[in-house]
Amino acid sequence: MEGIKATKKFEKEMKSGTASLVLLSVLAKAKDPMYGYLIAKQIEAGSEGTSMIKQGALYPVLRSLESSGLLESQVEPSTSGPPRRYYEITELGRKSLLEWMDIWGKIRDFVEASLQGVSHD
Amino acid sequence: MTESIEAYLVKLKQELAGSDPAITQDALADAEEHLRNALEQVPEPEKDGSEAEALIPIIERYGSPEEIASAYREIETLTQPALAELKPTVEKPFLNRFFSIITDARAWGALLYLILSMITGIVYFTWAITGLSLSLSLLVLIIGLPFTALFLLSVRSIALVEGRIVEALLGVRMPRRPFFTNRQAGWWEQVKALFLEKRTWTAMTYMVLQLPLGMIYFTVFITLIALSLGFIVNPLLFGSPNAPVINFGGQAYYVTPELTPIVVAAGLILLLSTMHLAKFVGRQHGMIAKALLVGSHRGYEDSIEGIRVRDSNSMEDPMEMKEQAKNEIEERPPLFAVILAIAIFVVVIGITLFFFLTSS
Repeated sequence: MEGIKATKKFEKEMKSGTASLVLLSVLAKAKDPMYGYLIAKQIEAGSEGTSMIKQGALYPVLRSLESSGLLESQVEPSTSGPPRRYYEITELGRKSLLEWMDIWGKIRDFVEASLQGVSHD
Repeated sequence: MTESIEAYLVKLKQELAGSDPAITQDALADAEEHLRNALEQVPEPEKDGSEAEALIPIIERYGSPEEIASAYREIETLTQPALAELKPTVEKPFLNRFFSIITDARAWGALLYLILSMITGIVYFTWAITGLSLSLSLLVLIIGLPFTALFLLSVRSIALVEGRIVEALLGVRMPRRPFFTNRQAGWWEQVKALFLEKRTWTAMTYMVLQLPLGMIYFTVFITLIALSLGFIVNPLLFGSPNAPVINFGGQAYYVTPELTPIVVAAGLILLLSTMHLAKFVGRQHGMIAKALLVGSHRGYEDSIEGIRVRDSNSMEDPMEMKEQAKNEIEERPPLFAVILAIAIFVVVIGITLFFFLTSS
């Protein structure tokens, strides 16, 4: 029981850090501003159905990125349904993404190196 | 099973109970936008089934209300609103805290807001009173009802705009998305909800209240600023023997050259105290704004009748998260500001008395 709880906690912590990185990279690649549902769709398509993050959990991350100035957003009415919020990456966002990719690469290598030799049996 | 988008939103709202109402409003807006967009993308043949069936995979991917609620709470603890004050880890000495107000963005923001509130107060008051009296008098005519509905809608939009101003200048977390309305209900239900929601009326109360409050804020703060700037600048600019420091009741008061530095220092202290007072009053006003413009969402629940909501099973740690969120919003008692507010009036009265006693 304790083990399951610890795994859940670990999973949560891992996801919350990577979500910002994934969202920034999706928006950096996008030609036009995108709204939440499209972003979620794109992430799902890219990960071939093994999406780690619940779509709904992306929205608070989008808003937190916006309040840090890495994204900009604009509400536009849609022909049907509620208005959509379109997100776009800022210059600061692009700069941060490059730095974050660097950090990510370092962490990945470091963790990979640390995990070497741990076997399943 | 979730029967409809509305039912999902009601559950999400329940999960977010106890956290900042502004977060709840944003979370509901995001969820509604996503679920409606997702439902629209469902291919026609699959739509034959009920909405509830189509929603199952969509909600599966979006996340359960429990998961989404905890995601919002978690992010909010990491994101500070604009100009949010980072709580000092060590208590700085009194003098340090007193003088550092000059670099406090929140104090400047509050001062700007309090002075501007005179203008916004006039606009809100005029709009509310004109709209209300026109609505009431037109109600006997066929045009009355649509007119009143439009007016109430405008009140809601103004509430959102005022919320943005309050968050930017006073640093109180306010909604960033419009109020959630049940779009599935017919137009008559929506109009009815507009009239029945408590928040429409509290927002209107706020608009009317803003005028007297704005007048008081404006008068008090312009007077305090003018007085302190006068004390600081007057003796330095004109030389104390030549120009009176203050004109009061048709009498001009002069200060002897030896006392000039004291007057300048008193002006400086008064100016800094005014900024402390502005910050304090700004925080109080932010609370009033939050209570009247955001309040509780109870009106929303009343507006969707007939949706049965099953009690959601609590997850591993939502209680803990709720507790944490509650602690986040709790404000420190502004004892420091109260002492300063009292100090200001003592200084003002002291200076006035000083001039009275030395004038003859």
